[in-house]
Amino acid sequence: MNTILLLEDLPEIRAWLKTLVLQVFPQAHVSEAARVHDALELVSAVRFDLALIDLGLPDGSGVDVVARLRETQPEAQSVVVTIHDDDEHLFPALQAGAFGYILKEQARDLIIEQLQRIGSGEPPLSPSIARRVIAYFAAQAKPQAHAMPHVSLTERESEVLLRVAKGFTLPEIGVQLSLSRHTIADYVKQIYRKLNVSSRAEAALEAQRLGLFRR
Amino acid sequence: MPRAFNLAIARLWLLRWLLAPLLSLGALPASAVGIELDRALSVQSDALHFPEDEAAVDVALPDDWAVSRRRAEGPVWYRMRFPSPASIGDDDLLAFYIKRACTNLEVHLNGHRIYSGGRMSEPVTRNCYYPQLVLVPQALLRGGSNVLDVKVVGKPLHSVSARQRSGGLSAVVFGHHAELAPYHDKRLFWSITLPSMVGAAMLVLSLLMLAMGWLNRRESHLTYFGLMALGWAVLSTRLWLREAPVPGEVIEWLVCAIVPLVAACAVLFLLRYAGLVQRAIDMALLVQCAMVPASLALAGPDRVFVLANAWYVLLAAEVLIAAWVYLWFAWRAHRKEFWIMVVLMSLVSLIVVIELAVQHGKLSVRGIHVLHFVVPVTFIAVGLRLMQVYAKALGAAEAGRSTLETRVAEITADIERNFAQLAEMRVEQVTARERKRIAADLHDDLGAKLLTIVHTSESDRISTLAREALEEMRLSVRGLTGKPVRLADALGDWRAEVMSRLGQAGIWAEWTSPAEEPPQTLPARAYVQTTRILREAISNIIKHSGASRCTVTGAVKRSDFVLTIQDNGNGIPMELDGQLDRGHGMASMKHRAKQLQGQCLVESGPGYGTVIRLTLPL
Repeated sequence: MNTILLLEDLPEIRAWLKTLVLQVFPQAHVSEAARVHDALELVSAVRFDLALIDLGLPDGSGVDVVARLRETQPEAQSVVVTIHDDDEHLFPALQAGAFGYILKEQARDLIIEQLQRIGSGEPPLSPSIARRVIAYFAAQAKPQAHAMPHVSLTERESEVLLRVAKGFTLPEIGVQLSLSRHTIADYVKQIYRKLNVSSRAEAALEAQRLGLFRR
Repeated sequence: MPRAFNLAIARLWLLRWLLAPLLSLGALPASAVGIELDRALSVQSDALHFPEDEAAVDVALPDDWAVSRRRAEGPVWYRMRFPSPASIGDDDLLAFYIKRACTNLEVHLNGHRIYSGGRMSEPVTRNCYYPQLVLVPQALLRGGSNVLDVKVVGKPLHSVSARQRSGGLSAVVFGHHAELAPYHDKRLFWSITLPSMVGAAMLVLSLLMLAMGWLNRRESHLTYFGLMALGWAVLSTRLWLREAPVPGEVIEWLVCAIVPLVAACAVLFLLRYAGLVQRAIDMALLVQCAMVPASLALAGPDRVFVLANAWYVLLAAEVLIAAWVYLWFAWRAHRKEFWIMVVLMSLVSLIVVIELAVQHGKLSVRGIHVLHFVVPVTFIAVGLRLMQVYAKALGAAEAGRSTLETRVAEITADIERNFAQLAEMRVEQVTARERKRIAADLHDDLGAKLLTIVHTSESDRISTLAREALEEMRLSVRGLTGKPVRLADALGDWRAEVMSRLGQAGIWAEWTSPAEEPPQTLPARAYVQTTRILREAISNIIKHSGASRCTVTGAVKRSDFVLTIQDNGNGIPMELDGQLDRGHGMASMKHRAKQLQGQCLVESGPGYGTVIRLTLPL
């Protein structure tokens, strides 16, 4: 984690987040931005390993930055840092390519722990997000829903999602499935990736359909 | 069809029964009960008494002027001689019965005027259809031969439109009044009383039909039928109206003027009833109605009979053709009344033909003119049928209307329901949008400020309070967004939070919930409040209890949801109860449970840990 993007409009919070980030990744170079426009400029100029992105910004939504990063820098890991804990706000960001989210008001040590986990490749996944993901892929699997081949989850991935939805923590699921912590984390990452791939394909199809419609 | 046929047969039978007394009239003449005087000396003269000095001609009675004196203008004197009856009691009432004397008569016995039918000069009293019963004053009778003189005023055939009204005298029957009276009464009934009753019935029928036609402008055949019946009722006055303020010629002319109107109405009725509307025919009939009286007026009083009967033949032909047209359409349309109408119209046609034959002297029918009431009776039958159809149509329309009303009511209810649903949806939409706006505002404004306080405050306490305030705010916002939460999902959320928090705090945690996913849902508010209570309880355990183990159990018991949080910590010292929890504490937990119609029980004792049992109705 050498280069980190920090997009946050509130200066105090941005400063506070920066101290946390630097505490977890002392070697990192943190680029700060307060607006979507500035962040997009940075994305086109700098390669990032990690991006902490706020959603509600004065000139738009952080989701756009997540999407741009996903497109131009697929290796970069976007994490949504937000005050909204409801999946109606979070899900679009996850579809755009974010790997999990951090709630801003959490205690300092909790955020540090989450950042550490993200750094070690363990993205967070809440039960309500898991349920949404399940519902999303269930809708995708309907034969008449889309003309193109859809992205589907493996049995293991579905299993992990189901257990998360029931309120089991990732370490608990690892024990239940006799899998290492790492493997479970990989499943979660894979789920996030598939969510993004599927939703991008869906968006493309939708755009195509609109284009046809306009013609 | 057989039913209609039976009905027709029944009506025929009825007709025969009606006609029976007429036939018997001819079969049993009044002469059977008295002396029939069937020959007379006749002199055409307007003298006050029988002109003895003029040459008299011996004629047979009945003397029909149309036959015996074709151009006679009258008046004509008749002289009959008859012997006195062999034995007459002083109390015996004797009479002359004169079946027909047209137009009017005066009776003299042995030189004395004993009876007058009314005015003998224009306007002459019209007695053609009235039988006469003349009482004989016994004192005037002589022992041997008696002389009966009868003066008749009348019209020659050529100046009347019907043979029945041309001048003439029937045979005179002399006998006991008591024996002759029944014959007189019977004939009076059949030729005057019954036709006038039928005429009155026709009038009522016509008014009814006109009213029906007026109410249903589209059913114009009803109106035409009404007019036809009205015309017939007016025509029937010629039978019983004796004293008219106008001369006989005018009466004849009026009758001739009304007949084409009746015929036109009959034709129009039949065509309209068949569903035919031809403006040309309407016009032609109208012209004809004007032409008939005009032609009669132009031709003068000497050609009334010829001209009128020529017209009558034409009119009868028109009606007959219209009847055929109607029957043809009725047959094609499979109308129910087809057979009845066939019978009725055949009957009317037959009678009209007979009547025309009589008028033209081709046929001689003694007795009563069946036309006068058989035709009205058929009219009434047709009228009844029309009313039946009308009533049925009315019933059908009423039924249709009520069906329509029901349908309209249903559709209205549907529309109202849909409208209510739409309004509800609209309200829901607006509410949801407003909730989202409020939620976004709270997050952006209040949330950002609280967040700043959380992360910049020097004081831990202030930071904690701000964080709690932020959590409260978020839960409130979620409560606002209102969707019910599945109990299974809620249990998942709670489990994740409880296990994660207790795990981080290093407290051994156990979670128990139903193996099967419970199907119930929690209202949003209940979910939010329960989350708060649980969060509060877990915070207390982490911060204050010093517990090393914690068991959380979620269970559905009958219609209640029971959440039990048990720890093995220090318990809550009684004297500190309520102060242990900063912020809301136990009291607020209980208050929240109460708001949800549930309860929150706290059991605690030093060294025994704490059990919090939350019960909520589902």
